Amino acid sequence: MTSVVTTPAGIAGTKASSGEGVKDRSGHWLLHIVLIVFTFLSCYPILWVLSLAFSGQQSLSIASIPADAGFLDRLRAITPWPATFSLQNFTDVLTEQPFAIWLMNSAIVAGLTTIVGVFLACTAAYAFSRFRFPGRQSGMLMFLISQMFPGTLMMIPLYIIVVSWLGLGNSYFGLVLVYAVTAIPFCVWMMKGYFDTIPIEIEESAIMDGASRSTIFFRIVLPLAKPAVAVTALFSFMTGWNEFILASVFMSEESRYTAPVGLKFFVGGFSAQWGYFAAGSIIVSVPVVILFLYLQKYLVSGLTAGGVKG
Amino acid sequence: MSEFKHSTLRRLLLRVTAFAAPALLVAGFAGEAAAQKQLTVWHAYRGGEKAAFEKAVNAFNEANKAAGISAKTLAVPYDAYADKISAAVPRGTGPDVFIFAQDRLGGWIEAGNIVEPVDFYIDDQVKGRFLPNMMEAVTYRNTAYGLPFNFKSIAMIYNKKAVASPPKTTKELVEWAKKNTDSGSGKYGLGYVYGDFFYHAAVMNAFGGGVFKQEGAAALPTATVNQPANIKSVDLVMKWYKDDKILPAEPSTALITSLFNEGKTNIVFSGPWFLGEVDKSIEVGVTNLPTVDEAGGAPMKPWMTIEGLYISAQSKNKEAAYDLIKYLTSDEAAKVMAVEGRQLPSNKSAFAIPEIANDPVMSGFRKQADTAVPMPNYAVMTLMWSPVTTAMNKIVKGTSAPQAAFDEAQKSLTTDIDALRKTR
Amino acid sequence: MRTTRFPGLDAGLGLLFGLILFFGMSLWFVSLENQNARREAEVRKTTVAAMSLAETVAALETVGAPPEALAPAIEKWREGDALVRDVRLVRQQGAQLVYSSVAADAAKGALPRRLVREEKPLFDLTGQLRGNVESNRAEGYRLPEAPVEGVRDDLLRVTVPIFVGDAYWGIAQVERERSTPAAGGDYGRAGLMLAVAVGVFFALAFVLRAVPLGLPDRWVHLAAVGVLLAVVAVLFGRYELQQLASYEKARASEVAATYQGFSASSQAAAAQVGATVPSTVPLDVDQFRRPLGQIGPDGQLNVPKLDESVSDNVGAIRDQLWWTGLLAAGLAALFALGQMRRLAETVREHRSAYSYVLPAIVGMLLLVFFPFTYGVMLSFTDRTLLNQGVPLTELWVGLDNYVKILGHFDVIRWTADGWSVNYESFYWTLFITICWTVSNVAIGVTLGLMLALALNTENLRGRAIYRVLLILPWAIPNYITALIWKGMFHQQFGVINQAIVMFGGEPVQWFDDVFTSFITGLATNAWLSFPFMMVVSLGALQSIPTDMYEAAKLDGATRWQQFWSITLPLLKPALIPAIILSVVWTFNMFNVIYLVSGGEPAGANEILITKAYKLAFERYQYAYAAAYSFVIFLILLAYGVFQNKVSKATEQVR
Repeated sequence: MTSVVTTPAGIAGTKASSGEGVKDRSGHWLLHIVLIVFTFLSCYPILWVLSLAFSGQQSLSIASIPADAGFLDRLRAITPWPATFSLQNFTDVLTEQPFAIWLMNSAIVAGLTTIVGVFLACTAAYAFSRFRFPGRQSGMLMFLISQMFPGTLMMIPLYIIVVSWLGLGNSYFGLVLVYAVTAIPFCVWMMKGYFDTIPIEIEESAIMDGASRSTIFFRIVLPLAKPAVAVTALFSFMTGWNEFILASVFMSEESRYTAPVGLKFFVGGFSAQWGYFAAGSIIVSVPVVILFLYLQKYLVSGLTAGGVKG
Repeated sequence: MSEFKHSTLRRLLLRVTAFAAPALLVAGFAGEAAAQKQLTVWHAYRGGEKAAFEKAVNAFNEANKAAGISAKTLAVPYDAYADKISAAVPRGTGPDVFIFAQDRLGGWIEAGNIVEPVDFYIDDQVKGRFLPNMMEAVTYRNTAYGLPFNFKSIAMIYNKKAVASPPKTTKELVEWAKKNTDSGSGKYGLGYVYGDFFYHAAVMNAFGGGVFKQEGAAALPTATVNQPANIKSVDLVMKWYKDDKILPAEPSTALITSLFNEGKTNIVFSGPWFLGEVDKSIEVGVTNLPTVDEAGGAPMKPWMTIEGLYISAQSKNKEAAYDLIKYLTSDEAAKVMAVEGRQLPSNKSAFAIPEIANDPVMSGFRKQADTAVPMPNYAVMTLMWSPVTTAMNKIVKGTSAPQAAFDEAQKSLTTDIDALRKTR
Repeated sequence: MRTTRFPGLDAGLGLLFGLILFFGMSLWFVSLENQNARREAEVRKTTVAAMSLAETVAALETVGAPPEALAPAIEKWREGDALVRDVRLVRQQGAQLVYSSVAADAAKGALPRRLVREEKPLFDLTGQLRGNVESNRAEGYRLPEAPVEGVRDDLLRVTVPIFVGDAYWGIAQVERERSTPAAGGDYGRAGLMLAVAVGVFFALAFVLRAVPLGLPDRWVHLAAVGVLLAVVAVLFGRYELQQLASYEKARASEVAATYQGFSASSQAAAAQVGATVPSTVPLDVDQFRRPLGQIGPDGQLNVPKLDESVSDNVGAIRDQLWWTGLLAAGLAALFALGQMRRLAETVREHRSAYSYVLPAIVGMLLLVFFPFTYGVMLSFTDRTLLNQGVPLTELWVGLDNYVKILGHFDVIRWTADGWSVNYESFYWTLFITICWTVSNVAIGVTLGLMLALALNTENLRGRAIYRVLLILPWAIPNYITALIWKGMFHQQFGVINQAIVMFGGEPVQWFDDVFTSFITGLATNAWLSFPFMMVVSLGALQSIPTDMYEAAKLDGATRWQQFWSITLPLLKPALIPAIILSVVWTFNMFNVIYLVSGGEPAGANEILITKAYKLAFERYQYAYAAAYSFVIFLILLAYGVFQNKVSKATEQVR
């Protein structure tokens, strides 16, 4: 038994033979229709963003319709395809401002947020799931409670703590700290829920084999919890990746801004360059999509019957 | 396996620290370099405006090298700007100089500890360099709190190909517009965001209306939303919309832009920000908003937003900061900001430069500034927008008569002002 | 183990720590109050000096005394008190420094002269005081008219406005040394009492061991600790309060002496040019120049008034001491009953669990609970834009804000032509917020779960592509997609109405109606939030061992039965937290409402959080907004506790 659980690779290996069995592929056509409809719905507004970004124009596109519009005119109007095709918005966004540096700042901040957030959340969630100790319930509740107080009004107190007290103004760590704390409650609850589903027998037998708590945690439990780690990592990353207001308030040098701050320069005030904003949004979204592609494989490498039962 | 994991982790950590370490070092040194007279200026510009502004600041730095004064700029996104000022300045971590429109000024002054009064520094020579009305925007309760930097207001923007001679009065405007309206094909003679109170203020001011009235030395003015002049002004606009049918329904800035770009509407009321979104192929003219026959021939007086240069109350180098804002409003800097930044400087000498004087757009807005009035800088200006916008929406959609809608706005605004007033 | 311990050790420790707490806190309170009294007396003396100077100058100006008469008059006025240092007079007209006793000022040019650049603060102060006086007259006391600055530790500066008749003239600024030494804390007395009390207790405990009373030791110890603590605390407290009262009275007589000195000297100074200073103007004033009333116009102490104020101050300290005593007693009891020992043992026993949880908790405490506490405190005051300079303690209004929010029952208004809903009402907004949250989470979870199940099908072609395309709404910054949605709902040009017309329908005016406007926000938010739920469900589906389905299939269960009896129960542990949190997030979802419907029509579709935001940042009612936020918090807390109970009941016991 122990030999199986201590080698997660072995678990993945048993996967192929299990599952719901090989299905007749033609039986999936209904599923495909549903998925295609939803994929279309989820992509449609984004196609407008793309169309705006590649149009070379700046105004937030509102479909234009000719005087006495017929069916085809209206169809053209609701088709997200730019009248002219141009890469101008993308080149302008990347050259006019130090966008590459800002993207890198974002990567550092969001990356550190992910590491810090997931690590702290995993340890805390493990304790909540596996230990019984006084204050466990109230501790769990505290994480939940922390999400309940409306954040919009907390800017100034946060500024006082991070910049005036901790002296972390204009530093990546100030932002990482705030983002990680924002992300931790969800991560803790998510991880705890997942840990709860991992049978405790695996650990018990490992303890009997003389493994220490930390060995169990790092070598057995974490590998088994990969899908949950993937979800929380994605969530932590997104928390740090898209936030702009704290990033623009805490940082006092342009070279330290993150990408969403850079994006915000294109809108707000009297005029808005929606084309630039759309192009920038797409550039900013690419890393998230890549990250998701990368994490996908963990989302599908979870528990199997063989792994659990040994 | 565990070895593999550890080494990946270590490599990851190394990589992360390699990125982060230089940043931290820079942060450490930035603090020390401030021993000289280092000024910081915050602005919300980008693109050409930003480049021009940085050029002007560099010129100031060149001229003041000997005195050991230098200034560096920081661009802050507009949406975070006010928050950043309110968070940083009272804690002494803000800039020495910052730029913002006058609408927030009253609030910052009443909050205290944010904006430094500059009356004492200002002499007649400096006062004399501005267009009329400009100082008013940065003056709060008889004290000047900054220098005006540039202005924006709406004016009449028209397609030169379609409009041979722009109408000068509302009568001419309505006549022209009726001829050029065909709602069936989506053509409207006139386009502007008449449901937006900022735009409507031009008509309201022509009738002598207003939203607030200052009484004595009170910190907060009294609301006058439902005064007869305001009602008359709305009645006129509703006549254009409902009876003359020269205005499109549900107006928004995006709608007006697309109407103008498609040639469906050839006269619009809008500001300089509009021109950036206009199709390059359209030849644009800018002229004064018409006079209002219904208000005894008084000109429309749009609200001007005037960006001021303010000195932080927490600045360690206030005199140097004043030298900087004085320089930034000088003829020299105004020229850079106008020619390269395409701003409308409050310094009048800029409009004598041939390039600017011959520019139909710049001189068009300059002319409008003579009849425009600065938007009030009362602390309670931010309280006004929500109730009057609701009222305008109700009126435009016809769910409420102007008088009733404005009565309600008046009531709600008065309640909100009183909530501030009663406090110690 | 218990028998080997010294008798009453727990209780003795309790007494010790209780007393240390009591002595520490009460000495601290008393010394704070002492410092306050001292500072206040010094401020009052300096203010009296500044006020009398202002009156003297006003008297001189009233009779039109020549400028050269000013210096000798001020010299005469100075005789009133030996501790006055620098004096400045600034006249607003022409920004004139009329008089200054500072040598450096005279060196910059002969007086009177125009203020120079470095003297800008004086100029600003001159303008500011005028504004403050006028504004206070117009709307009640809010801004200081006699501001005090601590120039150095031993030097105070007070500036007051000068009015000649009703006309503003300028300012008088006086710096004065602080004189009175601080009263030292009674550390020796406290230490002695502590030693005696603890000694007595252990002696008692020792005796008790030899001579058993027949009662449980523990309760006897507890009673002994209680009695000793009470006796010591009352003795010490009474003594300290008496000291405090006499100290405050002594300070008041000092102020009166200064008052008399300046009354006489300013009269003498004015007499030099044949003017008189009206003796009716009170000189002993607070920072708003309101008379304090403890000293009459003749400079004599008003004893009843003084006693009243002293007993007010002392009474406040007495209350604090009572609370401290109770706290100390509580602490002592905890020790005496062995609770503290048990706590320490618990921490030791579960130290690995606590060390796993601690880092996350510390971050949370620092960044969430501090701002939270600040917000809660704010909600009990009436802080607004206009009184930001005033300390929170002076703005205390108790539960007023909450009463105002929760008492907003005026939901439906009856008018001549029927009824209408008052969208400003808290309860309407709460109703909308709940509808908003429930519908959003229901749609988000259903869609997310459904798609996750579909994507989890084995051997489905193009699974990876679907998965990536379906998370796109989450990946693109929601600021832009929300605005695209808003554009799509545009009445005339929006694609949704175009599509409706295309298929022969009538265009809908989306933002005009409460319901359709609600739909716009709902559609946008459902679109934004389903990918999150989908990803969470996908991760959670992986925790279900596949052989369970095999077994179910063997038992002949249908797919639907499999879903209800296997999938759903096993998804619960991961799904429930995601649902709880998404309820919380949706409840506070600011962006979508703000960007898409903007609360249209007429604020009917505002949710609580957007309303709180508007209260704070548009209407500047900070405290009211904080109370609003706290109400939001309480609602969510109630939900969280309820949900937690429900899910705990279903949680598997292991």
